[in-house]
Amino acid sequence: MMSTQNLYRYSHTIGFYGLGGRGFNNPVDVAIRRDGLLYVLNRAGAEVDSRMGYKRVSMCALDETYHGDFSTGGRGPGQIMWPVAIALDAEEHVYISDDALQRISVFDKHGTFLTSWGRRGRGDGEFDRPAGLAFTPEGHLLVVDSRNNRVQTYTRDGRFLGAWGRGGQSPGEFNLPWGIAVDQTGDVYVADWRNDRIQKFDATGQPLACWGTAGTGDGLFHRPAGIAVDHEGHICVADWGNERVQILSPDGKVLAQLRGEAGVSKWGESYFSSNQDELAARLQADLEPPLALPPTDAKRYESASIEKLFWGPVSVKIDTEGRLYVVESCRHRIQIYCPHTSSAVR
Amino acid sequence: MAQQDIALMAHLLRRAGFGATREELEDYVAQGYEATVEALLQPDEAFPALADEDLIRRYHVDENSLMLIDSCQTYWLYRMINTRRPLEEKIGLFWHGVFATGYTKLNQPKAILNQIDMFRRYGLGSFRTLLGQLSRDPAMLFWLDNKDNHRDAVNENYGREILELFSMGVGNYTESDVRQCSRAFTGWTIRNAALHTARVARDSVWPYGRLDWQFEYRADDHDAGAKTFLGHTGAFDGEDIIEIICAQPATARFIARHLYNFFVADEPQVPAWPTVPPRDPKAIAALMQAFTDAEYDLRSVLRVLFNADFFKQAAFAKIKSPTEMVVSTARLAGGYDFPAVEDVELALATGAMGQQLLDPPSVEGWHTGQEWVNTASLMARVNFASQQFADVQKPGVRAILARLQAQGPILSPAQLVDACLDLMGPLSVTEPTRRELLEHAMVAGNLNFVADETSAVERVREMLQLIVAMREYQLA
Repeated sequence: MMSTQNLYRYSHTIGFYGLGGRGFNNPVDVAIRRDGLLYVLNRAGAEVDSRMGYKRVSMCALDETYHGDFSTGGRGPGQIMWPVAIALDAEEHVYISDDALQRISVFDKHGTFLTSWGRRGRGDGEFDRPAGLAFTPEGHLLVVDSRNNRVQTYTRDGRFLGAWGRGGQSPGEFNLPWGIAVDQTGDVYVADWRNDRIQKFDATGQPLACWGTAGTGDGLFHRPAGIAVDHEGHICVADWGNERVQILSPDGKVLAQLRGEAGVSKWGESYFSSNQDELAARLQADLEPPLALPPTDAKRYESASIEKLFWGPVSVKIDTEGRLYVVESCRHRIQIYCPHTSSAVR
Repeated sequence: MAQQDIALMAHLLRRAGFGATREELEDYVAQGYEATVEALLQPDEAFPALADEDLIRRYHVDENSLMLIDSCQTYWLYRMINTRRPLEEKIGLFWHGVFATGYTKLNQPKAILNQIDMFRRYGLGSFRTLLGQLSRDPAMLFWLDNKDNHRDAVNENYGREILELFSMGVGNYTESDVRQCSRAFTGWTIRNAALHTARVARDSVWPYGRLDWQFEYRADDHDAGAKTFLGHTGAFDGEDIIEIICAQPATARFIARHLYNFFVADEPQVPAWPTVPPRDPKAIAALMQAFTDAEYDLRSVLRVLFNADFFKQAAFAKIKSPTEMVVSTARLAGGYDFPAVEDVELALATGAMGQQLLDPPSVEGWHTGQEWVNTASLMARVNFASQQFADVQKPGVRAILARLQAQGPILSPAQLVDACLDLMGPLSVTEPTRRELLEHAMVAGNLNFVADETSAVERVREMLQLIVAMREYQLA
């Protein structure tokens, strides 16, 4: 395996736990606009009236400049309940899947609600827990229809074009798939979540390759959630259950693994500047304490105990500069990694 | 299959678990009573307790980070509903009531959930081991201030409660014993105590959520001097103290009364125990003997308990706790087999009934038995149960309907009442209660699934909702 530093090196962290406004709340995905603006999708938690405002799309920049937010928790038009994934079309309209409301909602780039479609079911244009979203080079929207174990294709205005995939373990079959990505040639990659593998398809849904099986070792996965492909064809996988990111070569060989290196974000520094006593205690503390790991779920326990490590790495995205964004739902932040050839941007 | 076998098995599963559907009961009866007791005590560990832990974390993202108390409560309730090891969850609930540790002081619900997980692993094993784990549990160390128990500045909070509320009960030790016990636990603390104390003080979840706590033993802060405790003298540390505690008859008696109160029949509350004798002294004696004979092995004590006549004859001698009410009703009605955004209602309902899981009212835990029921909590109990049976599409309701239809196309009002009471338990009701249900059923005459299935289904739903509103449904 190549060393991590030869592919990506840690740049900085964006994020902060926030109930509303500046900050994130159980973020699950990010979409990156051409001008660098980030749309961070905050799923937050249960349907509790007093917390509906936690659910929102936060807009900020790579340097953590906050640009406001839009949408809120609820079941009405333009509202979100359990948002899963976010994607932008060529006009930079914002598409959000919601696996409680069983629909896709569309907003303009400023966050004005435009339309939505979908309802629960198994038929054309129906969903059972829609998840990952990605656009094809032709501008069609791919929707991972998770509990129906298929990928559906739509026009940008929501017209159903087709679907492929079914439940199972053979190539071309899925078990609660989650993330999806499209490479520059139009090939499609799906995080086949409960089959603990990554599948690659051509643009028509024909299986091309399948990598991984259940496990914790190199190239093995535990419930992979998010996936992205860089311009060199490297496949970045949010290996959610293993609390890590694995980076594969175009032919599926493991090149690197990331476990997380988060430092304090600017928003975090701002918090500590006005809470000096906590900062003082923090500076005195051992933030990487030795752990007596439990017999099961050791990685998760590590992640819950050591702040810099990924906890709930659910989505990975790559921007036009090749930077890798790792969204951590449990740590309310995004860790940014730069390709080794570029300089850190902050 | 004999009706009394089903009834006895239902009783066992209400106590050693959170109730069972009729299909499950029939499977258990086919295995036999004693074999079922063994399976509950020593479940097959080839499979995880929960088949869909990953699904919970995927869909309930807040139950992956576990920052908020209702997220933690919902997680635990969902786990109680779906576990393959019901007694493991039940014993967790039992110890949560005895070793009551509360969110209100800790502001860190996941630490208490971690404590519950410790109860799952050790709660059926040796009481000595369990007390050792409890004394190292970060939530407990914070809850009872043992992080502030230093060699040169002894804090007696944990040292007192381990004797008073966790093992022996008042009247069985002196103030000097409290002091010496506390000295033995000096240096048993949590790592990074200053940081975690500062964060708890302002309920800080910044910048990136909570950090799990870890136990730390600080030899430099431990009082290694000689101590005299309950007549024994030595340079005791916490483990030595626990060894002495476990050997006390008072401990055997205290644990036996707690187990009896939780698993067999409602007793007076703990503060009354020094003066109020147990309702069944022979049963307590049998449990004490098992505790001593098995060298504090709790699984052995429960084996005696579940197989004893005093247990088998104690059906409906307890009032369901809110947790038992919510989980058993949700299990019976069904519909909680895949995570849904509405699952939090389980936690909200339990709280409305008077039991905020992970946040007991004090270190004494909850007062149980009749104290669970007052005007407000009874309304909450009835409303929740009734709501669960309002939807005839729920799998548990459909299963009951299928069994009723299998009895024939037409049911008389008496058949309807008796069959519903049977399938909802079987429940044992007083004659006036049965008469009331029967009078209601007679208004619409015979139930005819063939002539008017929609009406028949609605009448069954109505009957089930009436049954869960009965006094008898409040009993376990």
